[in-house]
Amino acid sequence: MFDDRSPIYRQIADRIKADVLSEALRGDEQVMSTNQYAAYYRINPATAAKAFQQLVEEGVLYKKRGIGMFVSPDARDALRAKHRESFFADVVDPMVAEAKAIGIPIGEVIGRITELEGR
Amino acid sequence: MRVDVEDLVVTYGEVTALDRLSFSLEGGKIYGLLGRNGSGKTTLLSVLAAFRKESSGTVRIDGEPVFENEGLTSRVSLIRDAGETTDLGTAEDALYFAEWLRPHWDADYARSLMDLFGLTRKMSVKGMSKGMRSALGVVIGLAGRAPLTMFDESYLGMDPPARYAFYDALLADYMEHPRTIILSTHLIEEVSSLFEEVVIIGRGRLVVHEETQTLLSRGTAVTGPAERVDAFTDGLTVLGGTSLGSTKSAMVYGEIDEARRGRAAEAGLELGPIAMQDLFIHLTGDAR
Amino acid sequence: MRFPSRLLAANMAFALLLWAALVVLVAVVGAVIAINGSLTESAWEKAAQVPRWYALFVGVALVREYLPMYIAHGQTRRQFGAQGAVTVALFAPFLALLLVLGYLLETGIYALAGLEQALGQVHLFTDPGQLPVVFTEYLVEFLAWIVAGAFMGAGFYRWREGGVFTIPVGVGLVLLAESTVGPGLRLPFLLGRLGRLGLDLPKSPAVALAIGLAVLLAGLALTWSIIRDVPLRNRWS
Repeated sequence: MFDDRSPIYRQIADRIKADVLSEALRGDEQVMSTNQYAAYYRINPATAAKAFQQLVEEGVLYKKRGIGMFVSPDARDALRAKHRESFFADVVDPMVAEAKAIGIPIGEVIGRITELEGR
Repeated sequence: MRVDVEDLVVTYGEVTALDRLSFSLEGGKIYGLLGRNGSGKTTLLSVLAAFRKESSGTVRIDGEPVFENEGLTSRVSLIRDAGETTDLGTAEDALYFAEWLRPHWDADYARSLMDLFGLTRKMSVKGMSKGMRSALGVVIGLAGRAPLTMFDESYLGMDPPARYAFYDALLADYMEHPRTIILSTHLIEEVSSLFEEVVIIGRGRLVVHEETQTLLSRGTAVTGPAERVDAFTDGLTVLGGTSLGSTKSAMVYGEIDEARRGRAAEAGLELGPIAMQDLFIHLTGDAR
Repeated sequence: MRFPSRLLAANMAFALLLWAALVVLVAVVGAVIAINGSLTESAWEKAAQVPRWYALFVGVALVREYLPMYIAHGQTRRQFGAQGAVTVALFAPFLALLLVLGYLLETGIYALAGLEQALGQVHLFTDPGQLPVVFTEYLVEFLAWIVAGAFMGAGFYRWREGGVFTIPVGVGLVLLAESTVGPGLRLPFLLGRLGRLGLDLPKSPAVALAIGLAVLLAGLALTWSIIRDVPLRNRWS
């Protein structure tokens, strides 16, 4: 999910995506303006605009001319689907590799997962 | 305002401060002007502000030469570290003249900036500390609202809270009143996120003029086992590197395509970003 | 061109303060001397030799302080030159007027106290009551000192120590003007004939005024030749 290089606009984009996933931002809700983001992160507004541009291209946000940026109604579902796709590659595979590297038997990892599931 | 610098040369006797420097800024953005001491930053800004006449070459602002051009100079402002006030009188006197000489002066804004920096109107300019004087310069520079506003290390002597207050005020005022702003600084870490574009000069010549994010994306730190790093960076522009035992980190300048990224991952190499500060250090060369 | 109202106002306000301080000082010193019973001459005449140094300072400050400020605030050297010239041309008569006022005050006080307001030096005027002539003398003097200050100030601003070459010219301008209103220039530390520089010029208000104007114009032209393309210095480098 993270690029190995993470310019500030990508961090902003990720922040907004995280807010959409956690439903801190809901469908058709307006997001703060580029200027507000720029002031908050103390960055050039053009850099903040880049983050928005990227999110529009990805379909997470849409633009209402003269009003501002809004969360796409299906953004959360789309993001969830996308993250599901990459979940194993991004989260599980590294976890298994890490477990192997430090000598935790996979059985123990599975046991832990089952335990968490049961709670 | 658009800025076009072409073959600009400025000499001081035997010393060449600017050596056929050329670049153009389209305007309306915040530009960072970076360079080492003696690279010619102050000289360049002085010529742009008509503080000094060029030895040869041309400087055009919105298409016109700027020296002794009153239609233009009234729209251009340069604040250097001493704040561009007289040694006579009080802060109030300094504002009295600024208000009278600057066509876009905003007195209310000046007053709020004075409060922000803890300056009072009755302070004698001569008795001010360097930081206070720099702050007064910042007040005059921002409240003047010149369409081309330049600050040349105007933060000198200001403490970190005052400097960040300056950056925040500058950014907020730029968004409210868009104009062309050029900041020259050595505190790159602190301000580089404000720059939309960066101009780096060295020894009076242009080193790089690039959009900030593009410039940053050009720099990559490649870290991993030394021999694999060397194999990977072979044929790339390597700005420098450091080693720790058998681990090496090399700074590569230039686009790294997807295929190469894939190869780096296979080789177990870590690719990371380079901070503007490090890029600057490596682009402007040896420690001299 | 814009009228240099704020440049004049700032300088006039400060001059007024200095004048008031000088009046008080002269009154106190005069009173002390009078109480000891030996005040036989105009005290203001002696005090009136000091303001010329202030006039010199104003000329220097005009170039050293206000020229850089004007340019830094987006004005051209030409705009400053015009405003500076008007400022000199109006500030000198203002200072002269303040000195005339000093004599007037003194005349009133001396009359009340029954003292004689005798003059101890050679002047264009022979009696402090000749107000227009008194005014002319100080006007010519101040014009010369301000413009000489501006010229030498410009020299030092532009060439630092190299500015010493402007001193003989500056002194020449002052000398020429002073010679039309008095015996010339008395130099400090040099006594007798050596210490007294002067030209033998006819003493008449018309001649003084003509030469004063010539000195003003020459001084302004000389100053302009230095500042017309002068680079700004950075105060701390």
